[in-house]
Amino acid sequence: MAATGFFTDTSVCIGCKACEVACKQWNQLPADGNFFSGRSYDNTLHLESTTWRHVAFVEQNRNLSGQTTAQPFSWLFLSDVCKHCRRAGCLEACPTGAIVRTEFESVYVQPDVCNGCGYCVVACPFGVINRRNDDGRAWKCTLCYDRQRQGMEPACAKTCPTDSIFFGPVDELRNRAEARLAELHRQGRQEAWLYGMTAEEQPGTEGLHAFFLLLHAPEAYNLPPSPVVPTKTIGTSWLAMGLAAAGMVAVTVAAVRHGGERT
Amino acid sequence: MNLPWKRETVGRELNPQWTVLSGEGAGQKLRQPELRKGTWPVPIWHQVPSVTAEPHPDYYRLPLLKEPVWIWSVPAYFYLGGVAGGSAVLAAVLHGLKSTEDLAAACKMLAFLGTTVGPGLLTWDLGRKFRFINMLRVFRPTSPMSIGSWSLAATGLLASLSLLQGEKPSGQITGWGLAAGGLVLAGYTGVLLGNTANPLWHETRRGLPVLFVASSLASTAAVLEMLPLNNMEAGVVRQLGLMGKAAELAAIAAVEGEAARKPLVAQPLQKGRSSALWRGAKALIVAGMAVSLIPGRWRGKHLLGGGLTTVGSIMLRYALLEAGKESAREPQAVFAVQK
Repeated sequence: MAATGFFTDTSVCIGCKACEVACKQWNQLPADGNFFSGRSYDNTLHLESTTWRHVAFVEQNRNLSGQTTAQPFSWLFLSDVCKHCRRAGCLEACPTGAIVRTEFESVYVQPDVCNGCGYCVVACPFGVINRRNDDGRAWKCTLCYDRQRQGMEPACAKTCPTDSIFFGPVDELRNRAEARLAELHRQGRQEAWLYGMTAEEQPGTEGLHAFFLLLHAPEAYNLPPSPVVPTKTIGTSWLAMGLAAAGMVAVTVAAVRHGGERT
Repeated sequence: MNLPWKRETVGRELNPQWTVLSGEGAGQKLRQPELRKGTWPVPIWHQVPSVTAEPHPDYYRLPLLKEPVWIWSVPAYFYLGGVAGGSAVLAAVLHGLKSTEDLAAACKMLAFLGTTVGPGLLTWDLGRKFRFINMLRVFRPTSPMSIGSWSLAATGLLASLSLLQGEKPSGQITGWGLAAGGLVLAGYTGVLLGNTANPLWHETRRGLPVLFVASSLASTAAVLEMLPLNNMEAGVVRQLGLMGKAAELAAIAAVEGEAARKPLVAQPLQKGRSSALWRGAKALIVAGMAVSLIPGRWRGKHLLGGGLTTVGSIMLRYALLEAGKESAREPQAVFAVQK
């Protein structure tokens, strides 16, 4: 089956948080408590085990191209979500096989298998997945696996009033994203760019199934500029361990021979 | 005719089917909504600029990554697993030597204890403790934790077997198997930490396995040093201890060097609670080394030297976990690594 995913076009996001609500509602996720952060209109702050969509509010003292205001000011929104990476750090780290790749090529945590070891939490370069303390298991966006199996689109994409979140087969999403980018550039909005769409743009994850059109540096949205799945660079670590283990054998043998002789 | 007063219900009752929770996240059993922890995850809001900082933007100084969720039992296991690994290797090398029989027996006992208590400590950290057996559900070579779980299980079996076999000649094969498992146990935890997105752990991924292996040697020798030993055994343990501690200190320096290439990455080892643990561990290991270098053989010296090194090596593992948590809180460290 073709890989499906999200293209999140932040240039049309209005920060309404309908995606957050639809996600919580459909997936029956518990509330996170009342909390006032004072950070723009963002009281959700980050993706969590019970928050699978998060709208970021970026305030900046500069204008976007073509924008005129009395004071230089612009407000950017981004609906963040699990990226369902082609090379997924959480999946490669999961020792129980609870995290699997589904027929829609999305990354899914099986709640009946997960034993809450917490390794996926540190393996995710986007800080998406987390273990819920009182539940004990790791949770994240499922790309609405249950809805997709019934032929429906995920709840967030369904509800998005501006189609900032667009769901579909990843190949089609890419064409759509490129067309949208070309359109924005034609309008003179040169700051628009695509984040993590292809393996060339983001070799560390070999491309995301949920990618974004951004209007600022990724850091401003709390996205890593060049994330790398940890497994990609772990060869040297195993090599170092092998050498150290060889040294350990040598030291132990030497200690037994030498220590024994002297006394 | 369907007259209102003839209906069995008034039509306002909810269909009970509608209230059945069956969504993807509905499986989360909650006692109460998660309360924000007592400490603020980030500097409180009025200390944070309300607009993006230029030229190094971040998102209101909020952490990009999630902190490790591991509790005290994980570093405790790192220590026990290290001792089990070091003892397993020493037991195999000592096999068949008459004059060090007691030491070999002690090593096997340590390997057995480490691989028996260790899984218990790891299970204690699990979110779903009764699902510990899922660790052996699949073998996933991309996951150091999977490799470690299988090694721990195998080493535990071999340790029990070798304890039963004692000094029988057939024990030699078990002993080498045990030693092979022990080598993995001693070092895989370093790879496990390196195989994460955590800036500190990932940037020190070459040094960490070496540190864990070296510390395994030093902590094994430190435990053995505190036991009553004959002359021959004491000589072996002394050599092992000196080389182990020297290697541990060298590996600490190597890890610090690796981290220092990016100042923000090295920060958790230089500032705050994690750095206090880290410095304390270093001081204790140096002190343990100094005590071991004092000439002469008397019980108090061995207890002190071994004790200092033991506490230092345990503290070192807690320091690494704390520093990892600290590192995950700093978004600029994540950006610095990726530039």
